[in-house]
Amino acid sequence: MTSVVNYFRSLLLGELLQGMGLTMRYMFRPKYTMRYPMEHIPKSNRFRGLHALRRYPNGEERCIACKLCEAVCPALAITIDSAPREDGSRRTTRYDIDLFKCIYCGFCEESCPVDSIVETHVHEYHFEHRGENVVTKPQLLAIGDRFEAEIAAARAQDAPYR
Amino acid sequence: MAGGEIRNYTMNFGPQHPAAHGVLRLVLELDGEVVVRADPHVGLLHRATEKLAESKPYNQSIGYMDRLDYVSMMCNEHGYVRAIEKLMGIEAPIRAQYIRTMFDEITRILNHLMWIGSNALDLGAMAVFLYAFREREELMDCYEAVSGARMHATYYRPGGVYRDLPDRMPQYRESPWHKGKDLKRLNAWREGSMLDFLDAFTDDFPRRVDEYEELLTTNRIWKQRTVGIGVVSPEQALAWSMSGPMLRGSGIEWDLRKKQPYAAYADVDFDIPVGANGDCYDRYLVRVEEMRQSNRIIKQCVAWLRQNPGPVIVDNFKVAPPPRAEMKRDMEALIHHFKLFTEGYCVPAGEAYAAVEAPKGEFGVYLVSDGANKPFRLKVRAPGFPHLSSIDEIVKGHMLPDVVAMIGTYDIVFGEIDR
Amino acid sequence: MSAQPTQNAAPDLVNIEVDGKPIQVPKGSMIIEATDKAGIPIPRFCYHRKLPIAASCRQCLVEVEKMPKPTPACATPVMEGMKVFTRSEKALKAQRNVMEFLLINHPLDCPICDQGGECELQDLAMGYGRSVSRFTERKRVVADEDIGPLVATEMTRCIHCTRCVRFVGEIAGTHELGSMDRGDRHVIGTYIGKSIDSELSGNIIDVCPVGALTDKVFRFKARAWEMVARPSGAYHDALGSNLWLHTRRGEVLRVVPRDNEAVNECWLSDRDRYSHQGLGAADRATKPMVRRDGRWLETDWEDALGTVAARLGAFTGADIGALVQPSTSSEEGALIARLMRALGSVHFDHRLRTLDFAGAAGGVAFELPVAQMERVGAALLVGSDLRHEVPLLNHRLRQAWKRGAKVYAVNPARFDFNYELAGQFIAPPQKLVDELLVLAKAAAELGAAPADRALADALAAVQASDAARAAVKALKDASSALVLLGDAGARHPEASWLRAIARYIATATGSALNVLPDGANGVGLARVGVLPGQGGLDAQAMLAQPRRAYLLYGAEPPHDFADGAAAGLALQQAEFVVAFSAYADEALKRIAHVILPIGLTPEIDATLVNVDGTAQAFAAGARLPGDARPGWKVLRALGGLLKAPGFEFVTLAELRAEIAPALARAPQAIAPPLAARRAGAALARLATVPIYRADAVLRRCAALNAHPLARSVAVRLNAADAAARGLADGDRARLADGSTLPVAIDASVPAGAAWIEAAHAETAALPPYGAAIELTKA
Repeated sequence: MTSVVNYFRSLLLGELLQGMGLTMRYMFRPKYTMRYPMEHIPKSNRFRGLHALRRYPNGEERCIACKLCEAVCPALAITIDSAPREDGSRRTTRYDIDLFKCIYCGFCEESCPVDSIVETHVHEYHFEHRGENVVTKPQLLAIGDRFEAEIAAARAQDAPYR
Repeated sequence: MAGGEIRNYTMNFGPQHPAAHGVLRLVLELDGEVVVRADPHVGLLHRATEKLAESKPYNQSIGYMDRLDYVSMMCNEHGYVRAIEKLMGIEAPIRAQYIRTMFDEITRILNHLMWIGSNALDLGAMAVFLYAFREREELMDCYEAVSGARMHATYYRPGGVYRDLPDRMPQYRESPWHKGKDLKRLNAWREGSMLDFLDAFTDDFPRRVDEYEELLTTNRIWKQRTVGIGVVSPEQALAWSMSGPMLRGSGIEWDLRKKQPYAAYADVDFDIPVGANGDCYDRYLVRVEEMRQSNRIIKQCVAWLRQNPGPVIVDNFKVAPPPRAEMKRDMEALIHHFKLFTEGYCVPAGEAYAAVEAPKGEFGVYLVSDGANKPFRLKVRAPGFPHLSSIDEIVKGHMLPDVVAMIGTYDIVFGEIDR
Repeated sequence: MSAQPTQNAAPDLVNIEVDGKPIQVPKGSMIIEATDKAGIPIPRFCYHRKLPIAASCRQCLVEVEKMPKPTPACATPVMEGMKVFTRSEKALKAQRNVMEFLLINHPLDCPICDQGGECELQDLAMGYGRSVSRFTERKRVVADEDIGPLVATEMTRCIHCTRCVRFVGEIAGTHELGSMDRGDRHVIGTYIGKSIDSELSGNIIDVCPVGALTDKVFRFKARAWEMVARPSGAYHDALGSNLWLHTRRGEVLRVVPRDNEAVNECWLSDRDRYSHQGLGAADRATKPMVRRDGRWLETDWEDALGTVAARLGAFTGADIGALVQPSTSSEEGALIARLMRALGSVHFDHRLRTLDFAGAAGGVAFELPVAQMERVGAALLVGSDLRHEVPLLNHRLRQAWKRGAKVYAVNPARFDFNYELAGQFIAPPQKLVDELLVLAKAAAELGAAPADRALADALAAVQASDAARAAVKALKDASSALVLLGDAGARHPEASWLRAIARYIATATGSALNVLPDGANGVGLARVGVLPGQGGLDAQAMLAQPRRAYLLYGAEPPHDFADGAAAGLALQQAEFVVAFSAYADEALKRIAHVILPIGLTPEIDATLVNVDGTAQAFAAGARLPGDARPGWKVLRALGGLLKAPGFEFVTLAELRAEIAPALARAPQAIAPPLAARRAGAALARLATVPIYRADAVLRRCAALNAHPLARSVAVRLNAADAAARGLADGDRARLADGSTLPVAIDASVPAGAAWIEAAHAETAALPPYGAAIELTKA
């Protein structure tokens, strides 16, 4: 009996029509895609994107040049030079991240004892010239200043888990 | 041409061929359209992962494991951290074991979705690819929610996992195109925690798999391209040291999750699907069924994880860094934090092999430690490598288009083959 | 200081068992010494093998069978049949609890602490400590002291192991640190907020197990894991201390000692430790420079060397003289000698600071090796401010003194020693020989008459004093005795007399005679033949009879010359001066015509021969700045251009093989033909080289020159001499050449001497050591 059914189904292109019917049904369903870049898909507060250096609320940079991030970076993307500042405190004189080397593993953020280096939710950035892939300390601080509110909110939300 | 010598035609299949999956370069010797010899060339994606691991503390290589088989990221991590745990004699807390089980299965679905989509595309079916990627998006959202990265998670750690599952999922924001009821529909699964999201997903997923099957399983073109193609006999499968669906497709019931249970696999219910004929079609069926079984496992893990809160990483600061709040307050914790992130931990001298049932087969990590904070030697046993080695024997005598079907069914990912 | 190990333990062994492993150890040694030898780790902070035992940290607690409580391994002597458990439950618990106490008051400074990553406290806390602290009270804070420009302090981090206190007390001998109060008020400090003035102060950084004492020059520059450690050697004194250069991207960031029991043990003098600052001086020569039409032009090597070859080739050999800085490597020295011979000149010398060359056989090593100096029973220093000349040699003598040795000194001033002298014979430079003759007379009373007629005649005219007899008797009675001729003696204008008398005293009393060579590689340079050839002029004669052309190798006029004024004049008048120099400062640019930038010892492959006659080959550790090249490569290129014989080698190894026999050959001390005695002046200059201005590199080290040991320029006078000239402390005195210097009344200066340190800008061109000085009130 089944073989007869199968024979007719096959003869009448049953399974092909069934598949086409499926795709046809999807034509009338709401679209699954988003209108990027006007719309974005949801992004987790743990997202690891472009790096930033943060400041304390009083404007003082957080980084104390402990170099843990430099040490833990598996891709050796971070380069730090440090020296005493005029007030005698330990500070970086250079903080470069080579975004071509970076593998966005998040270890730098994990290692930072003062929550200075963070990976922000920013994932849309580009370079136009060779060499721009190395982000410098002023640039990183600027990114931090620009997104501080979002960065702080995301960290606060994730604090119980870390 | 009378009296002329007839020579076989030799051609390069890849590395730029769209069906050559990554950077496979296959040198094919053809007699007309029949393959006489297939010679796979490897090494174009060699990144010296094993050698690099010898130069950095153990933890720093976790991120590189993601990049081996870059469609089954967390399974690779799992193999690596399990090898370290074995050497150090530590065990992750039970909740971490369940999280790992759950994410291994999420990863398996991710991998098989990628496989089913691209394999169907290789063989001429477009729509499956689109639908498979839709489901991949949902699962990658879970990857992102838990680790912060959609693919290269760096989430597993020796002794557990980095962070517990988040109690909220990120939601779609309102936009001119998605608002009101539409937005509510988009966010329907995302109102609660990640576990709620996964619960909803697992409820829905079998229906999605039905759709793929509707498109492929009975489809005559699909069957013509796969049934009886690339038959691997059980003897051949064993001789070529195949594993995963390649082995099970040939009818050998072997699955590390059952035979050598790790993580929480001993405590969850699932079945091992096996094929009968060992052809491409059977392997397709095995993989489809595996997706359904994975879905089952995820559902059980979600239920368990809801009931059992607890630590997700060992409470041993000599291995796992202390919580941040403690690090900022406590001298001992700070010292351990500092040392772990600069020097890492020292692993007792010895050697260990740890394997997991990755979506493609047995992914094993062989570690030799000389007691230092870096591996003395790391060897990755990637399932794809023995699979690919068998290609000459399997495709010999097949037509050229069948090579594409075969490459697809091998589930080749060059990240793990070249390492 | 309880339970000191007995110094001369009987050689018999006792059997003990550590963690079930039987070992044999010398009787009287401590458990920790036994386990260290057997390679069994025991955590410790206060124990240091070179320092006396304090047993104050309690970190090394171990369990010993039949002892009711855990006992400190560093202060428990081994006994026959003792069973020690270092990893038993009881021992581990004791160690863990001690660690918890140590961390109670330790600040959460790891991220900003320079010690982070190489900190014994971190390592042991990780290995032996708890994971979590149970301490919730406030931590204490200790105010910092500024102890000088070399060592940074952060005393809150101190764990009171007292290693630094014991170091400055027992090794440096200055007792500048101590511990005060008890309990949680216990602090380590200088008592009165003064700086540490020891010449070995840097070693407290090494002994400090935590970040309380760190390197101030290196402060916040790099982490331990970023740097590459390259073995190298010191080149500021002839001891040739072994050291590690810690470099990052080729730049030397700091220097730490490299253990060598025969040379520097595990210590390093501040001079060797901090001199790397001079490598990066602003006036480093980085490109070859040629003066054309009175203007300095930077050029390439081809042009510069071509110019030098053409100009030098145009002079007849006798017109060319070579003055070689005495810390130049032996390889370079050998090539200079070959080059000069090829040019037909016999005028080359490295003894730039020597004034009396009569009988000065070059290349003679110490008769008593450095390592044995700490075992002498008596020592006589002849003209030596040893603490400043070779700090670690002085440390060896101090160790001997601690063991009971009697040390005597015949000196042109009361130099500051960190041990008590058994007797001092002080005379101004012009009377130093007479003072030594008194001792020689006492030695002559023992029997043997001097062979030299002139010396015998001189002896006949003096009377021995009781003090001299006592000193000679001490030398004679000691099982091992030493006569050491220091820089203030060997660079003396009548050095040949001092050397001859010292040799006579040494022979008469059965002592060894150690003569400090010129500079860091005087022995090596003399052995490879950087000494005037047959009929050649020595360093002084070359300046007194000016040459038309000079080859200046590494030497910085006028500072590196005994007679700076003569050097300046001769070089200024020369038609052509080629300077191989690491620095191109204005003074050099005024006299030189070509400056060829060469590397300093840390930057090149160099073999230096130390006072023991040991040839130590050091590999290049730091990056050469700019276009600078190793001297031997520059000389090889120049020799090639001049088609000189002996420059056919390709690799340095070939050259080293060629000079190895010469370096190993110890020349015989020659019978000294004594120079004529000179008439004494009323007031003679005592010119010592300040410890931190001994060479061009040191003179560019800001931190060292800010150290209290680097004294400011002054004429130091005896109160009587000053009063006779109407000078008071703080006045300015006018010298014969019209320049003025501040006056300092200094009780350590004998009447008749004016102590003006050399190698300062203001003093380098003044009359040399021993010359008459005229002073008037300015």
